[in-house]
Amino acid sequence: MHYSPVITNADQAIKSDKLHLFRYVEDPNQKQIDTYMTHGGYTAWKKVLNDMSPEAVTGEVKESGLRGRGGAGFPTGVKWGFVPKDSTKPRYLICNADESEPGTCKDRVLMERDPHGMIEGMAIASFAIKSNLMFCYIRGEFGECIRATEAAMHEAYDKGMLGKNIMGTGYDLDMVIHTGGGAYICGEETALLNSLEGERGMSRVKPPFPAVEGLYACPTIVNNVETLAAVPFIVNNGAAWYKSMGTEKSAGTKLFSLTGHINRPGNFEVELGMPLKDMIYSPEFGNGIPDGKKLKAVIPGGASTPYLTPEQVETVLLDYESMEEHGSMLGSGAIIVLNEDTCIIWSIYKLIHFFRHESCGKCTPCREGTGWLEQIIKSILDGKGKPGDIERIEDLCENILGRTICPLGDAAVMPIQSAVKHFRGEWEFAIEHGRPMVKTDFAFT
Amino acid sequence: MANESTLALPAEQVETVTLTVNGRQITAPKGTNVLQAALNNGIKIPSFCWHPKLKSVGSCRMCYIEVEGVPKLLVSCCTPVAEGMVVHTESDLVRQGRKAVIEFTLINHPLDCPTCDKGGECDLQDLTFAHGFDDSRFAFQKYRFVEEGSSSSFDDHRIGPEIILNRNRCILCYKCVRANKEAFGEYDLGVYERGNIAEINAAPGEQVDNPYSGNLVEICPVGALTNTDWRYKIRVWLTQQDDSVSIFESSGINIRFWKERQKNHIYRVTARPNDAIDDGWLADVTRYGYQIATSPHRLKTPLIRKDGKQVEASWDEALELIAKRFRSVCDSQGAVCVGGIVAPWQDNGALMRFNALFRKHLKSNNVDFRTDYKNLPSTPTSDFSLLASQPFRIAQIDSSDVILTFGSDLLREHRNEYLRARKAMTFNDAQVIVAGPYATKHADISSAELVYAPGSEEAAIGALGMAAIELGVATDTGFSESFGNRSLADLCSVAGLESDDVRAAARTLATAERPSVIVGELITRSPARDGIAKALNNLDRLLGLSTKGQVAALAAYANSRGAERLGLLPQPADATRAQLTALFGGLSEHDGLTTDQMLQAMTRNEFNACFVLGADPVQTYPDRSFVEEALGKVEFLVVADTFESETTEVADVVLPLSTWAESTGDFVNLEGTVQTARETIRPMHQSKPASEIIDRIAALVTGSDADTTVDIDDAIRALLAVAPAASWAEKYRPVTLPNPEANESNVIALYVGDDPHHLSHLTQHASSLMNFVGEAYAEISSDLAARLSVGSGDTVRLEHGSAKIILAVRISEHLDSDVVLVPRNFASAAVTGLQSRSARVDRVKISRVEG
Amino acid sequence: MILTDESVKAMKEAVGRYPKKKSAILPCLTIAHRQIGHLNDDIYREIARAVNIPYVEIAEAATFYTFFPKQPVGKHHIQVCHNISCALVGADGLCSYLEEKLGIRKGETTPDKEFSLVSVECLGSCATAPMMQVGDDFYENLNRAKVDEILSELKEKT
Repeated sequence: MHYSPVITNADQAIKSDKLHLFRYVEDPNQKQIDTYMTHGGYTAWKKVLNDMSPEAVTGEVKESGLRGRGGAGFPTGVKWGFVPKDSTKPRYLICNADESEPGTCKDRVLMERDPHGMIEGMAIASFAIKSNLMFCYIRGEFGECIRATEAAMHEAYDKGMLGKNIMGTGYDLDMVIHTGGGAYICGEETALLNSLEGERGMSRVKPPFPAVEGLYACPTIVNNVETLAAVPFIVNNGAAWYKSMGTEKSAGTKLFSLTGHINRPGNFEVELGMPLKDMIYSPEFGNGIPDGKKLKAVIPGGASTPYLTPEQVETVLLDYESMEEHGSMLGSGAIIVLNEDTCIIWSIYKLIHFFRHESCGKCTPCREGTGWLEQIIKSILDGKGKPGDIERIEDLCENILGRTICPLGDAAVMPIQSAVKHFRGEWEFAIEHGRPMVKTDFAFT
Repeated sequence: MANESTLALPAEQVETVTLTVNGRQITAPKGTNVLQAALNNGIKIPSFCWHPKLKSVGSCRMCYIEVEGVPKLLVSCCTPVAEGMVVHTESDLVRQGRKAVIEFTLINHPLDCPTCDKGGECDLQDLTFAHGFDDSRFAFQKYRFVEEGSSSSFDDHRIGPEIILNRNRCILCYKCVRANKEAFGEYDLGVYERGNIAEINAAPGEQVDNPYSGNLVEICPVGALTNTDWRYKIRVWLTQQDDSVSIFESSGINIRFWKERQKNHIYRVTARPNDAIDDGWLADVTRYGYQIATSPHRLKTPLIRKDGKQVEASWDEALELIAKRFRSVCDSQGAVCVGGIVAPWQDNGALMRFNALFRKHLKSNNVDFRTDYKNLPSTPTSDFSLLASQPFRIAQIDSSDVILTFGSDLLREHRNEYLRARKAMTFNDAQVIVAGPYATKHADISSAELVYAPGSEEAAIGALGMAAIELGVATDTGFSESFGNRSLADLCSVAGLESDDVRAAARTLATAERPSVIVGELITRSPARDGIAKALNNLDRLLGLSTKGQVAALAAYANSRGAERLGLLPQPADATRAQLTALFGGLSEHDGLTTDQMLQAMTRNEFNACFVLGADPVQTYPDRSFVEEALGKVEFLVVADTFESETTEVADVVLPLSTWAESTGDFVNLEGTVQTARETIRPMHQSKPASEIIDRIAALVTGSDADTTVDIDDAIRALLAVAPAASWAEKYRPVTLPNPEANESNVIALYVGDDPHHLSHLTQHASSLMNFVGEAYAEISSDLAARLSVGSGDTVRLEHGSAKIILAVRISEHLDSDVVLVPRNFASAAVTGLQSRSARVDRVKISRVEG
Repeated sequence: MILTDESVKAMKEAVGRYPKKKSAILPCLTIAHRQIGHLNDDIYREIARAVNIPYVEIAEAATFYTFFPKQPVGKHHIQVCHNISCALVGADGLCSYLEEKLGIRKGETTPDKEFSLVSVECLGSCATAPMMQVGDDFYENLNRAKVDEILSELKEKT
């Protein structure tokens, strides 16, 4: 098998001096180190090793305004700065390639088609935090990503980009690829650490934060694939270049996965701050909704983000602050488009079923609450809803939100809260009439 | 009284912070979590998953608090105290949060409280009453784990010899699995699947039968884990509790008896946490050992041998006969021909009276508490006794940076200190060095493991010292000379150790800031123990171990330390002897005989009357045929014990002895702390406590109603106050290295120790413990098993001279050399028959039994 | 022994890659899964012995992760994503279609042990939905015609 046939906007990126992550993803040879290097690959790594101090690298990334692209959007350079300076313990860098937020399929493209970009970013990040061992935690289902990353890693070792005394600088860096076993929760950084330690992938209470006590209780930085892939470009082009893109608080570019009821589903790199409407309707991106259907809702940042209504879609921009203003989140950049035929309760059932299945079971509100919510929502969907169910759902969501160890609890309830708020009539209808307002399946042709 | 000189602890300034909880200012050490800090100040925050001795995980979410300035509820078990923090544990938001957690917890929890044995002491039940809803809003079918093949509708199933699991009641606090791994280092219980169908269960296909398994039941906050010992026998609110201490561990584990007064019956034992001693964990022997008191098989009346048969007799008849016979032997043969052997788990009062009976009233110095050791020297102050009397604090193991166990199979010998060593490693990253003649289970926490050749202890110690000198981490002020200037390589070769391993261990040990050195039973029981103690003295002198930390040979039994301090030795240390002389108005001139010497004298018909109190030498003393011969020859043998034993069988008078639960008495634990065990039930049947028995014999012997010449309590106080001799590690002592023994093929070292569930001739009468133990076994390495072509459950023959026994094979997970471990105290497999009383290392021939 | 020497060797190598041995549990499960196609208690026990990690730790980890089937599956193990992005474009219908074509229900294996079918959570092919994973390979942008083609190809392979 070769990589996913997913559509990208590499054609735009290659013509742009701003878009960079997708610049070469349609070049079938990009995953080979020679091609990667012809395209400027590993120059940032050389620059870092020869001309920069770890502090300078961290400073540059901090200055660039790069924020974590896995979902939380935490400033990357700031996170690196949390590693205790005086710690004598080993430090670890982990690339979080456990992409499994429903709707998200962007990291997969990078790994399958441009794995060296990720590896170079990992190496630079390792240098910045003075780590000599880095891990890439790839979800086990991603066979092609694993193969491509393994091949790239071997090439990087062979070319002397990894290993002992890299390029004669005395810096040692090793890389281990660790593959997952099917658990969404392992994309949460503390659960990922437990999983990597051989424990069950259950999240840990923070603090201590991984930057202080992470893998094997040593300082550890966990960054998303896309985040790390941006790092070489920041090193090469400077923080100012990166900051010149996007908005004040949302610098740079971001990958968006556009899915659902859309004419042109795909992965697109755009500058942050672009209107969501353009992403959905512009011919160079989504090109509108099939069959001229109307929009019902958009889940803008992956399955754990609150729904947006068509009115909100009119005004919201693809950046962290605008999304927040509109009551949702940029998340992982997974834009899921729901057309007018979609039953909101059905869509929510799909999500809560997922979160119940993926709850690690460690803390009570998430473990029990997701199961309870799933049962109520299923009963409403099956026409067995009872008066008071909506209020019960709202109440249970309140009792989970902010009460769990990790964000999975929040992720499970935020879409529900928004879907109840924005589409209350549909819930009331289903309970009152003993059936959902709209049909609950989509034809497979 | 009690503690020996307090150890000088390093002056550590514990930083404290001040915070406000519910309007009250409290201070707590930095790093404490809010839950613990509040609890220490009498403010209880409810929780299910928190345990004071485990790492906090914040999973149950019951312990919510509100902290001013923080918008969300926090879990107090994972929130460290901070200066100026303002905490509310009873705000509306907190109450609402708790209520929600209770509701979530209950949705899949069965409503079977009326039939659940946890009722009345169930955290979930109590907290639901206190904080929950009156009604359930959950309108769906509860998730149910169905036990296939279970005849009851409760879906109970047995996961261990004493543990019943009900998965439906489990609220997934994970405390049991956490304790099992984190505190006990055991891997027979796990959690499987995930989310709301996650379940606790035994390791697939295995039993939860580890030596600490009872704790899992005790810490379960609901009725998911219950034990067969207690369940459905009595309701908890019908019981009364009494504080006591365990007689099954030398640590003096604090326990609580649960009894029903009118029925005069004990129903269970639980922990009575005492951080200085036990951290609230009980080994199963202590938890279930109480069943010796309630066993239906106890000796019920005195027995007197008449015409070769033991027949029931009255106490008066039995005691008068004893007094008469002892008097007459003393009068005719002399006091040197009578003596007493006493078990080291009798309380101080019994020991003191026993001492007075022989030393004062019968004028015999023949008393000994060492009922199961090899032939030991009788000299008053040996190098070993110095080592054994060194100050030692159990709790100091926790804060040690380096722990060396030398010649100790720690789990078999000192289950409590084993947990402490694990704790030091888990919580303080302590380095554990394990040195012994075979690989032990606790090697799994070791940073260095030194398995020396059996019988080469002095060489192994010498090698450690020489390596430290060679590495420059110690200055040779006479150490090498004391070892005859033997080289490191030479010593390593004698001990069969790799010099690199020794160097690594020596560096760790020499650079320790606060070491704890635990010298174990494999040394204590060895006839070479004085020589080994000399070598350890020199290593301590070289590295300053006891100056920086602590070094001691730990006492073996619940009152060994008391017996030693109270002078229950044929030749007590000088200071003790002086005190005894003063107390008893002079002592008889003759040198007292050791247990071994008494037995020898019996075989020569030179010893005519013996009183064995609470011990079973036929089963426990090495060289069984010798002991049988001796006790067969002694003219008059009195045995007081709780059960029939192989020793009572040959006695002329048998006295039914009460257990420690039936009388009040003090015990001195291994660190010298005196603790009281109170009478919790009245003596069963016609049994009597040892003190009463001895008082009555003394009265008959002396012809007065009561012994008024010795105030027993004063005497105990005076003797315990005697300071131990203090010449340990003050100078180097010349060490003689043992000669390596030639090894025949198929002849391997035999080590006799305790099964962690079966520690004495008494524990075989605790039926719960016997559920764990099964038959006697020979534990060998998988390598040796392969060479013998045997697997687990096959049988092997062990032979020594004409003695042989046949045992089932148990393949060890940790042994990796050619030794065989056999547990003692199995009536069915008299392993003492294979032991010699003088050989430093017992060696046996091992072969496969065909068919 | 169920595990091959090659698998055991690979497991021992995996142990060597990590600062702490226990980290090798997931790699070991992956190796066993690749060799056998599913996992069970006997296999956990063999892994435990091969890398000297307590057996219960292997079982605990293995049962946490859903990627490893705990029962034997067909030679071609078909996993259909049923999550939101795929469901919006007919994943439920894809599942029914496969049930119909294979003559089995979700969770079952064909009598000839060739095919098994399950539906699973998001597999990260949301912009090429609907999709299915067969063994290690992803099949994306599916429609009825493509499914027919893929199934006959797979049948030929057997």
